[in-house]
Amino acid sequence: MVTDAKAAAAIDLSTDLGGLRLRLPTLMGSGCYGSGEEYAPFVDLAQLGGVVLKSVTRLPRLGNDAPRLVPVASGLLNAIGLQNPGVDAYLANDVAKFADRPCAVVGSVAGFSVDDYAYVTERLAARDEIDAIELNISCPNVGHEGETFACDPKLAAGATRAARAATKKPLIVKLSPNVTDIASIARVVEEAGADALAVINTVRGMSIDVERAAPALANVSGGLSGAAIRPIAVLAVWEVARAVRIPILGQGGIETARDALEFVLAGAAAVSIGTGNFTDPRVPLAVAAGMRAYLGAHGHASLAEIVGAANPGFLGAR
Amino acid sequence: MALPPNGERVATALGIYEAADDRVSLMIVVVGPRTRELAELSPGETVSLLGPLGNGFALDALGSDVALVAGGVGIASLLLPAQQLRERGARVKLYYGARTAGALVDASVFSSLGCETALATDDGTRGTRGYVTQVFEREGAAHSGIAACGPSPMLRAVGSLAARFGIRAQLSLEETFACGVGACWGCVVPLARESAQAPSFPPAAPGESRDYVHARICKEGPVFWAHELRW
Repeated sequence: MVTDAKAAAAIDLSTDLGGLRLRLPTLMGSGCYGSGEEYAPFVDLAQLGGVVLKSVTRLPRLGNDAPRLVPVASGLLNAIGLQNPGVDAYLANDVAKFADRPCAVVGSVAGFSVDDYAYVTERLAARDEIDAIELNISCPNVGHEGETFACDPKLAAGATRAARAATKKPLIVKLSPNVTDIASIARVVEEAGADALAVINTVRGMSIDVERAAPALANVSGGLSGAAIRPIAVLAVWEVARAVRIPILGQGGIETARDALEFVLAGAAAVSIGTGNFTDPRVPLAVAAGMRAYLGAHGHASLAEIVGAANPGFLGAR
Repeated sequence: MALPPNGERVATALGIYEAADDRVSLMIVVVGPRTRELAELSPGETVSLLGPLGNGFALDALGSDVALVAGGVGIASLLLPAQQLRERGARVKLYYGARTAGALVDASVFSSLGCETALATDDGTRGTRGYVTQVFEREGAAHSGIAACGPSPMLRAVGSLAARFGIRAQLSLEETFACGVGACWGCVVPLARESAQAPSFPPAAPGESRDYVHARICKEGPVFWAHELRW
């Protein structure tokens, strides 16, 4: 057993997400992990690859009315509505707390215009505490304008170009599954200068409260996350991995190491865990340990060896 | 929050019923598949528990003659406050209602602590017929403070009565929770802006007309002063 543990510890789980070096391939999904400090009493943040912060917008946002959550079969519907203090208050009050984080810190930028994306990216990326930027062009819960960017190739490219011009830090663009052909969006976003792609954001859905005979969410529709969307997400990663050369951050319903490995084998260089933390904050630790055990058992020395290994059309680097 | 090991992958929020030494008791009323799964556990089975989370009642601020108002499973969260209030020598009266007699749990533990009790059921099968807030409306004005836990309509009614009586009330709110630790902002209630603490709630932006923010029930609550809510 001692040698097994030694062998497992020697297995290299580090990865590179478009210039963002990660010791561990496990990021915590934006919006699910606050700023990380909320989970610090329960989880050693050094055991995570990194935290993607809650999305920030140019101006403060009150967010949607309650109810914002509905538990559904094997998943969760949410419509938070990008509640956040706005970039000024965020930079003044929150960002300094990230300086001594023992894991990567990825800022998340949301917006309603190309100019918003450029402005907030520049402000956030200028801070040393932020290692990389996730461009959230795919929030489904702020009216039509939130998701427009991820669903229209021209707008997706425009937002990406604007953010690209605003920072040299790694730029990860988060794509929406609510499109006909995610691969074609991925291609234009890659051409526009993205360093990596996060695949996928939540899937649009709704639930009706039959007792009240009304939509269960105040926002009517919401974004579905959790195990229910995992097969949708794995297919999206598979298709994007055949369309672009930049690294992919796979996400959507990951609760175990085997779930995470599906994404890696489809072509993801790293994975993101969101809703899985809600049932057990130790999920990311179990995912990393389980990946090590799998790699050891299959005779691999590093995670990089199996990225895209199940996908004959995988275009990326290994 | 307690979760069955192989159940639906969403946590369930529960109030602590009793806590002593290394033992914690939870009261579970079966309302759906997750609570059923918990209720069907056998002795020796393992569950995960994350907590305690959020704030609690600020009992010192309620004075020496406290009304506890409980609706349904909300009774579970009021036993610890009842014990602590009695230890401090406060007079305590429990107003407790449920749909029907079969849904009332045995409240004799409150009586044995020296609390007066008044019961109500919607169908009149036990205690006064009607809502517990109707009983409270007749008798509640004499109290120095209120602690309440129950369904939202009951809590709103308690808040209105407290305002009318000119006494302060603390309400323990429930919502659907996801993270339970303040990370996801899924469980919110409108809270007066002047009651919300920076930096999570920065001052109003120029031109911002709303006098409230969306506070997290799991983090800033679950207990709020009734007069600070804007719901």
